[in-house]
Amino acid sequence: ILDDPDLKDIDPTVLKHCHAAASMCILEAGKQKADISAISTCLEDCKLDKERIEQFCTEYEKNKDALEILLGSIGRSPLHITDVSWRLEYQIKNNQLHKTYQPSYLVTLNVENSDSGSHPDVSFSCTMEQLQDLVGKLKDAAKSLERATQM
Amino acid sequence: KLNIGVDTIQHGVEGLVYLLTESSKLMISEVDFQDSIHVLGFSDELNKSLLQLYLDNRKEIRSILGELAPRLPSYHSLEWRLDVQLASRSLRQQIKPAVTMKLHLNQNEDLTAQVLQTDPATLLHLIQQLEQALGEMKMNHCRRIVRNMK
Repeated sequence: ILDDPDLKDIDPTVLKHCHAAASMCILEAGKQKADISAISTCLEDCKLDKERIEQFCTEYEKNKDALEILLGSIGRSPLHITDVSWRLEYQIKNNQLHKTYQPSYLVTLNVENSDSGSHPDVSFSCTMEQLQDLVGKLKDAAKSLERATQM
Repeated sequence: KLNIGVDTIQHGVEGLVYLLTESSKLMISEVDFQDSIHVLGFSDELNKSLLQLYLDNRKEIRSILGELAPRLPSYHSLEWRLDVQLASRSLRQQIKPAVTMKLHLNQNEDLTAQVLQTDPATLLHLIQQLEQALGEMKMNHCRRIVRNMK
């Protein structure tokens, strides 16, 4: 904003104040999920004229959803799983034991941290039975999610 | 009690251990085992007892040897919980469903637990991907390899 040629005649301090005030107003409205009438009333109390209020509200409406998504994504949460990759291998032998002949899976859960944005992925190996157990439990979770949405 | 020197007994035990672990490791057949110990020139009775000893303990020895192999952290169990986020410091009036999970892994004899979270869409994606993984073992390609490697 400080580099905008249209605004270069205005005192930068005033500009900063305006920007801060506008930002606060927008963020507070977003946080409270305020509707247009609430915002208009608030701006009327601040003695803004009708035209400006209308302009502000139109712009706000246009960007409301993006704002909501942005605000919703701020905050701490446990490591978030974004994807999974797997590898199936068939073990033949190792230096301690020959003729092992066992299938095994290597599963990697790609994980994202809301703060730092990167985190080592969680990897583990499992047998077919263990993988079946894991998938069974995940399906239980999905089923109860479905039931919850139908309530 | 046996009236033999300590060294002899030690060597005897070590020899026996080596015989049994190597045989179990390689999973050699009865015939091969008998052929191998025949060279040592023991009595028939002794050879028979050794063979029996091998067959009786083979499974257990193999499972112990199996523990020595290099291992990645392995799956132990999973606990899950359904959560709905209703509000946060930056946004009120939300309805954000999430599945919170505690993944228990076995890491070199220690149990570790990690708390993870995912959204409903990713959960369904995970299930689909892992079910595909399970299905692979039943495919012809894998079946052929398993058959030919026994």
